[in-house]
Amino acid sequence: MTKRNVDIAVIGGGAAGLAAAIKAKEKGIENIVILERNEELGGILPQCIHTGFGLRYFKENFTGPEYISRFIKKAQDLQIESKLDTMVLEITSDKKITAVNSVDGLLTLQAKAIVLAMGCRERTRGALGIAGTRPAGILTAGTAQRLMDIEGYMPGAKVVILGSGDIGLIMARRFVMEGAKVEAVVEILPYASGLSRNVVQCLEDFNIPLLLEHTVTSIHGADRVEAVTVAKVNVDWKPIQETERTIECDTLILSVGLIPENELSQIADIALDSATGGPIINDYMETSVQGIFGCGNVVHVYDLVDQVTQAGELAGESAARYVLNELPTLRKKIVLKAGDNVKSVVPQIISGEEPVTLHLRVKKPMRNVKVKIGNLSIPKRVVRPPEMVVISFTGKAIEKLEKKDELRVSIEGETGP
Amino acid sequence: MSDKEIAQKLKAQISQDPELSKLRLKISCDDDIVLLEGEAEKWEQVVALGHLAAGMSGVRGVVNKVWPKFLLRPKKRRKFKGKASWDGMEVDVVVVGAGIVGAAIARELSRFNVKVAVVEKESDVAWGQSKANPGWVHAFAGVDVDPGLLKAKLCVRGNAMYDKLAQELDFPFKRIGLLAIVTEEELLPLLDFVEALAKQHGVPVEIIRDREEIFRREPRVTEKALAALFFPTYGSTSPYLVTIALMENAVANGVKLLLDTEVIDVMVECSKIKGVVTDRGKIFTKFLVNAAGLYADDIAEMAGAREFTIHPRKGEMLIFDSKYSSLYSHNLAPATLKTDPYTKGGGIAIAVDGNSIWGPNAEEVSYKEDIGTTSEAMEIIWEKFSIFVPNIPKEAMITAFAGLRAATYTEDFHIAPSQKVKELINVAGIQSPGTAAAPAISEMVLEILRKEGLRLEENPDFNPTRKAPPSFHSLPNKQREKLIAEDPEYGHVVCRCEHVTEGEVVEAIRRGATTLDGIKFRTRAGMGRCQGGFCTPHIIKILAKKLKIPVECVTKRGSDSELLPYKIKTLLLRGDSID
Repeated sequence: MTKRNVDIAVIGGGAAGLAAAIKAKEKGIENIVILERNEELGGILPQCIHTGFGLRYFKENFTGPEYISRFIKKAQDLQIESKLDTMVLEITSDKKITAVNSVDGLLTLQAKAIVLAMGCRERTRGALGIAGTRPAGILTAGTAQRLMDIEGYMPGAKVVILGSGDIGLIMARRFVMEGAKVEAVVEILPYASGLSRNVVQCLEDFNIPLLLEHTVTSIHGADRVEAVTVAKVNVDWKPIQETERTIECDTLILSVGLIPENELSQIADIALDSATGGPIINDYMETSVQGIFGCGNVVHVYDLVDQVTQAGELAGESAARYVLNELPTLRKKIVLKAGDNVKSVVPQIISGEEPVTLHLRVKKPMRNVKVKIGNLSIPKRVVRPPEMVVISFTGKAIEKLEKKDELRVSIEGETGP
Repeated sequence: MSDKEIAQKLKAQISQDPELSKLRLKISCDDDIVLLEGEAEKWEQVVALGHLAAGMSGVRGVVNKVWPKFLLRPKKRRKFKGKASWDGMEVDVVVVGAGIVGAAIARELSRFNVKVAVVEKESDVAWGQSKANPGWVHAFAGVDVDPGLLKAKLCVRGNAMYDKLAQELDFPFKRIGLLAIVTEEELLPLLDFVEALAKQHGVPVEIIRDREEIFRREPRVTEKALAALFFPTYGSTSPYLVTIALMENAVANGVKLLLDTEVIDVMVECSKIKGVVTDRGKIFTKFLVNAAGLYADDIAEMAGAREFTIHPRKGEMLIFDSKYSSLYSHNLAPATLKTDPYTKGGGIAIAVDGNSIWGPNAEEVSYKEDIGTTSEAMEIIWEKFSIFVPNIPKEAMITAFAGLRAATYTEDFHIAPSQKVKELINVAGIQSPGTAAAPAISEMVLEILRKEGLRLEENPDFNPTRKAPPSFHSLPNKQREKLIAEDPEYGHVVCRCEHVTEGEVVEAIRRGATTLDGIKFRTRAGMGRCQGGFCTPHIIKILAKKLKIPVECVTKRGSDSELLPYKIKTLLLRGDSID
């Protein structure tokens, strides 16, 4: 078994992991390794051939490959080591990593710090409990995207898309552009789950019908998908039987949510937040285990890659400071609790002493709102579930926040978009 | 009772039923086999008629041709795509069906110098009910089943054969026992009676009246448990891995496995089997073993031997993430007063690969390919079993699936030479506990064949052992290293959730997998929480490369299930033709 010591091991070479590794290297850490299970760096971005990336970080409109290639190149220029096709099998709370690939065989790494950047996976049909048969032609949107935009094959010609998450919307447009017919995008909520710009640019511009407050109740076809049954849902999201109708199609694409991938975190006994599905982190992106940091979609699912990059940079910087013994332990710990109309808050623990950016996911749309954090109240015009609410405390702003062991974060305002 | 008397008595019984008496039926009986013809209003009536006829004393079988007036007869799935021909092949025995029963019979026959061909319409073995059940190796057929029934006897015998079989063929098998939990107070006085019934089957059972003892053995079981019945000889296996192992061993000992081959007719001459007509040519044989599962009645009918009808009984099951099922160590079932006489009621299985499988339920269906799941059944199964295992949350459900039991109306196994056509052996009606009984069924079929005149000379080269392919996930690190040193492909993980390596996928193909499902059932790639999202693209590429076929021809489970039917841009070149 190959054994070695490293200063920082980054698990996952996507947008978050690359940013973390680059930042840590820039902070003076030499012995860094990125462990990537895919055959290339970049995570999901190489398959995102549409534009819309980098508007905030680079102030430019890039495609996914353009955006991520800048980071891949930088990592190479900085001579950051990466091990591709390498699957991490286990991590321990004392930062021992067991991984495997076909070149080194099994390898164990003893790291001083670990950055978790494993990203997320897509929710599947099983999690939704859609009834019916199990033929060929049922795929998640991300898998369809990889097959079309990396491998160069079409999974079908007549498509129904369940869920209006961003990847689903993007794929609706991709299918049409490749000559397939998209019969409908079906969304259980009364509004689209993806960004507004994607609803306009991907559906409206291509005349693809969006069926709100509808769901797929059953899948038909023995060998290949032949049709799906869709129905309107009532206020409890239960299908109304009288509204059932059949749509003929050969493919059902699922874009029904993303789940942070934390099987490794669980092995290492890292505390998870049931609201995000990711590790509980603090100001420094540190998890409940000292010296193990988390960033990107493994912590919670972000809207934009630009935000993932920033989170990665912060985690990389913190990991470097930890290795250099420069990372202070939080003197004070304020636990942020999700209150009214707040699904989740990240970070979940703050010091109340250092600048911090909070990311909130709301439960339902509201307008003319006040975001209340303890004694502070921050006005916002509109909040919507697909778009994270970002509250930044820069400079000394945080000093105004009351210092209690626990603070409630809630959103008050008028219901409706 | 004479045939005429049986028919008359049955007519009299039907006339007393308020619903069935209204139907226009033709009822006859020939050689103790009842033939029902006519029209019903709904499927439930068809099934009720069949069961009523089967319940008459003296009836050996029921052929039920009644069909509901407004129900379309389902179209057949036909999958022939012009593959290589077997035309003119001559063998001693053709076994129709490569399920667990057909595979067990083939392997048993391979001990002798006989030429055997197994004909299977699907692209892989075990693709009927052998893959769609929770893998219980039942210790017995159930307290409410007559211990004299064939299925009761073969279950007990087959269960006892599993240890040796698992050792020889290297498939997963654990005698984890069954804990039947009593939560209803009115059942407590009946426990001694239940024990006595179980003993009539010859199955060991222990009554646990001390609640503490229940929680000592299964600490996270429901606190509502008042008592329990423990059946230590219950086992858990993977029914498709058993089938694969049996068939690999049979093939290694000389059996021919003809996949993607459907029997479309049976050749009979002077009331004797001559051969089968398949969609890939005629195969001549001395004996025909009909182990065609759901289609066993169709095969028998092709030979002109109508002796039974198969009525599919659907069972739906839920699969839960292995993360949670490891909290429990026995198969669990509610001990309850039964309401449905045709099912054991299902339970909570701890599958050998770590997942927990709940169910199945039981529902009579008219269509032999009706393996769709329903939201109603999912809810019923969840409601029924979740109270017993309070530590498994609903989010832990990975997926649902369904299978069809190939039941006859007599609700017992029908294993016998045909009374109408010589050298045709029917092995039909193999419903639950078929997995447990399969090894005993194969013994019995061998004896029937011997009696019917098949010459069985020992095959001196017979090798009873078969090695399972390596499974990276379940090996200790030392052995993993050795494996990777020998073949670096075992260091490349393709399925992230189940840690399945490229080496295992390649080995599965070498052993006969030709489809994505074939890889899935052999290696578990795609069975985990992401359900193939990440590994499917990799596996499609490996399949195309190793089978030397274009990516567009790689299928999920045989022709008509192509996964990536078009290269990118081809639809654009086709213009509007897709509408």
